[in-house]
Amino acid sequence: MTGIALRPSREPLSDSGRRQLARRRARLSSAAWFLSPFVVLVALWAVLVPALDVSPRTFPSLASVWAVFTSGVTDGSLWTQVFASLARVGAGTGLAIAIGVPFGILMGISRGVSGFFSPLLRFSVALAGIAWIPLATLWLGYGTGAVVFIVFNAVFFAVVYTTMLGVRQISTSLLRAARSLGAGPGRMFVEIYLPGAAPSIVTGLRMGMGFAWRGLIAAEIIATSSGLGYTLFLARQYYETDVIILMMITIGVLWLLMDRFLLAPLERRTVERWGARRQVGT
Amino acid sequence: MSLLSVENLNQVYTDAYTHEEMTAVGNVSFDIPEGQFISLIGPSGCGKTTVLNIVAGFIRASGGSVMLAGKPISGPGPDRGVVFQDFALFPWKSVEANIAFGLKMRGVDKAERKRRAREVIELVGLSGFEAKYPHELSGGMRQRVGVARVLATEPTMMLMDEPFASIDAQTRRVLQQEVLRIWEQERPTVLFVTHDVDEAIFMSDRVIVLSSRPSAVQADIEIPIPRPRTWSDVYADPAFVRIRRELMAMLGVDDDEKGS
Amino acid sequence: MTVDTPVRSQQRSRVETAGAWTGLLRVPGIRTWGPFAVVVAIWALIAELELFPSAFFVGPGTVFETTVRLIERGILPSYIGDSLLRLAVGAGFGVVIGVALGFLIGLNKYARKFSWPMLLFFQAIGDIAWLPILIIWFGFSLTSVTLVIVYTVTFPLIISIVAGIDSIPQNLMRAAASLGAKRWRGIVEVVVPAALPGISSGIRTGLGYGWRALIAAEIIIGTSGVGFMMFEARRQGDVSHVFIGMVVLGALWYATDALILAPFEKETVERWGMVEGIGR
Repeated sequence: MTGIALRPSREPLSDSGRRQLARRRARLSSAAWFLSPFVVLVALWAVLVPALDVSPRTFPSLASVWAVFTSGVTDGSLWTQVFASLARVGAGTGLAIAIGVPFGILMGISRGVSGFFSPLLRFSVALAGIAWIPLATLWLGYGTGAVVFIVFNAVFFAVVYTTMLGVRQISTSLLRAARSLGAGPGRMFVEIYLPGAAPSIVTGLRMGMGFAWRGLIAAEIIATSSGLGYTLFLARQYYETDVIILMMITIGVLWLLMDRFLLAPLERRTVERWGARRQVGT
Repeated sequence: MSLLSVENLNQVYTDAYTHEEMTAVGNVSFDIPEGQFISLIGPSGCGKTTVLNIVAGFIRASGGSVMLAGKPISGPGPDRGVVFQDFALFPWKSVEANIAFGLKMRGVDKAERKRRAREVIELVGLSGFEAKYPHELSGGMRQRVGVARVLATEPTMMLMDEPFASIDAQTRRVLQQEVLRIWEQERPTVLFVTHDVDEAIFMSDRVIVLSSRPSAVQADIEIPIPRPRTWSDVYADPAFVRIRRELMAMLGVDDDEKGS
Repeated sequence: MTVDTPVRSQQRSRVETAGAWTGLLRVPGIRTWGPFAVVVAIWALIAELELFPSAFFVGPGTVFETTVRLIERGILPSYIGDSLLRLAVGAGFGVVIGVALGFLIGLNKYARKFSWPMLLFFQAIGDIAWLPILIIWFGFSLTSVTLVIVYTVTFPLIISIVAGIDSIPQNLMRAAASLGAKRWRGIVEVVVPAALPGISSGIRTGLGYGWRALIAAEIIIGTSGVGFMMFEARRQGDVSHVFIGMVVLGALWYATDALILAPFEKETVERWGMVEGIGR
């Protein structure tokens, strides 16, 4: 390298205000771009439904969906359904992580074991979730148990598989270094395997939860008498399109919130902290 | 009569994160006569690659003018072939198809494309690798493809952006000599960007030194070393030693620290 | 170095067992089917030991006999045919729409800015949630099932094509332009092949979701198909049909992957070295 790189001269202070303004303007414009399609969509909805005189049995008016939403919020019934669904997702996912991660790490440690299980797991990931609904309801009966099982198995197979892959990707020299520094099996697990596989685990979690969320809705439609999926399907019997649309929006928003504010940041953080992708970039 | 003339070139951009205005290129002017091999060197971050990108037409200058054979540059074109630091080969095309790409774009018929591609493959020493895909080649061989791809279209100018920076040291020496050998046969006009002082002296007729930001031309040095050149000759040439010391001092690097 | 000895011997034994396994696993037939044979054996053992009541769990023997019977009666082939046809029609439309929209959104800055948030939102709603309103609009019909599958296949495809286009190295586009490629030539010669990994992974994800949506739709709408068969059997407490359904679903998934997706990837992105050892 040619050595000393001179830093660009620092800008005068008077510029900092302008810079801040520019930054704020950029942020505002990106927010506007994010919201604009939704504004257009809602406006179209508000105008087209009355203008075309659409029957509420085909598509609800904006006002009626809003009314269902506010009454659901005030009497708490919406929260009850949301909570029922989220509790099932939470239980299934928590269980799947608790069992899947250690399982995946154990399988990943040995090349032979992981080679043996690879095709099986790939197969199971492809099949996980909805396809288990008949069996789940047969084994566990209709009800929460079956739904939690569907969520569990969607997340479980994905997490086991990616954890295993993650462990296998840890570099041999890192493992040797840790062992030569005197790390016992327990320490290895906590200090090396878990953090080393973490980015891969989170990726699997995100994928598995994608399947689980859809599985949840399907399972609730088929096998329970509470939750978002159930409410959604029940409304169909009475042609309550306003309830259906509200539930669809709720399902979409909840998943977006989970994905954007829980899974994506988690993935970014593990990848950045442990995946060392950043160092390469700079 | 100069082929490329760069006058009062200036480039300002807004940083995407901080929204600060940054001056990448302050005020740069130079000329390249037809058939000359010119290197552009300077401290890292001085905007030498930016100058090359402007000449290539990849980015638009904020101010000043760039004329090629008397015409202003508007966008990239096959009259200026670019060799990239990261090779930028098309992974889905074989060596031969990569090299024939420019001819295909020009509408040259298949038989002629093949003939010309084979000719260039021979020239850069890639015979036998025609059907390979880029990922099957070593870094040095990939850059041979990169050079051949440009030579195939016989551009007015060749622009090379640190072409040997991602190649291991030994292969680099070989490639530098090879490229010079080919250059002496074909004599295209070359603008060569590098941060390696030795390389700049070895390859060029003239070395242009840019100052750090906001950059301007700090020096323009003729290299009076006779051609054809080889590394062993050049190292022994007193002119090489003198110019090298001069450039090192200009870039603010002690001779002992040349490293890398 | 006394401390070194146990560590090393431990390591060696590990290496040896791994060597034996990997040696065996290198044979392609064993590598793929060996694990399944072991699973079937364990399955048979559990059934034989009668750990679970036979109303909940049947062995591979029973499943095999029932399968033969169902095939002889022509029920299974016709159900599989129905399911595959639905998936193929839905996926076909989904791929056409997804590829077209994917390239439009990936290449046009304004289409991109405007539609991206909405894409994420509609992707988030998820296929199954559309079923009730589709049933209201189109009844318990094939149209509803097909639309759900089109929906599921389209969105992941669009998103991964856009991501694929985004990840094309800038210098590749520059190289094409400087070699004289105009916009359309550049798209055909560079953007399309560079987006192929995105397309293939998008189709993979899309089909994965599409499969599940099909099963759910067949259970809920229920007139024919593998999903219908499984759930109908479950209602009548006939476990063996449920097990057959699972096996069939798995086999079909394997077949689509091995016969269509994997060869396509092998011929394109893997040959060009654009992906390194995709584990999936």
